[in-house]
Amino acid sequence: MNQTRERDVYEAIADPTRRELIHLLSDEEEFPLHALMGHFPMGRTAVSKHLTVLKEAKLVSDRRVGRETRYRLNPAPLKQVQDWLSYYEKFWQGKIATLNRLLEE
Amino acid sequence: MTARGISLDFEFRSPIARVWAALTDSSMLEKWIYPNDFKAVVGHKFQFRAEPSQWWDGIIDGEVLEIEEPLRLRYTWMSGSEHTVVTWTLSEVDDGTTKVHLEHFGFEAEQSFHGATHGWQRMCGKLGSLLSELR
Repeated sequence: MNQTRERDVYEAIADPTRRELIHLLSDEEEFPLHALMGHFPMGRTAVSKHLTVLKEAKLVSDRRVGRETRYRLNPAPLKQVQDWLSYYEKFWQGKIATLNRLLEE
Repeated sequence: MTARGISLDFEFRSPIARVWAALTDSSMLEKWIYPNDFKAVVGHKFQFRAEPSQWWDGIIDGEVLEIEEPLRLRYTWMSGSEHTVVTWTLSEVDDGTTKVHLEHFGFEAEQSFHGATHGWQRMCGKLGSLLSELR
């Protein structure tokens, strides 16, 4: 077993590359590393490092299939982010709708 | 050090000065947020007062951090144990159209706004449905 440290989910999603990775992974059941690579202007090592951070936050799991590693999204830790965010997202969308009516009066 | 927040974009068919007034004038703010004693002055401390409920005293405390009329407005937004910052950025598309970018970020211990500035809306779309399946 290689050692994995625990990582805060907010830290994991603070980086735009990692958010993009989460998006890509949310579209498919599983992705091999090489299929993810083409989406980023960076090398294999850099993409790998981002995936490791996501793994440490338990947002991504991986498994070996033959010679390649396949990555899969585990959205559960995002739940705690979603609760806070979805509240304020709905709050502001509601307020902005009122503001829009106000401005059009 | 954590940063989390939302980032939303809106477009209004109003001149930028009018949108700015809606975001900074106390009586305008009352019409679409809550009654308040807001003043567009850096350092001014204000409150929004919503109807209190069983779970919430209805009070949002804030302090104006930044004013750059009519382009940028930033204030703290503290309610209960939540300490957050709201940032409005306006841009004029033409005489009668204004784009508004809203960021609402939380912070803990030290403020950290690097990173998560874009992509929340997208994230909340696709992932929103994924997450709702977890409930």
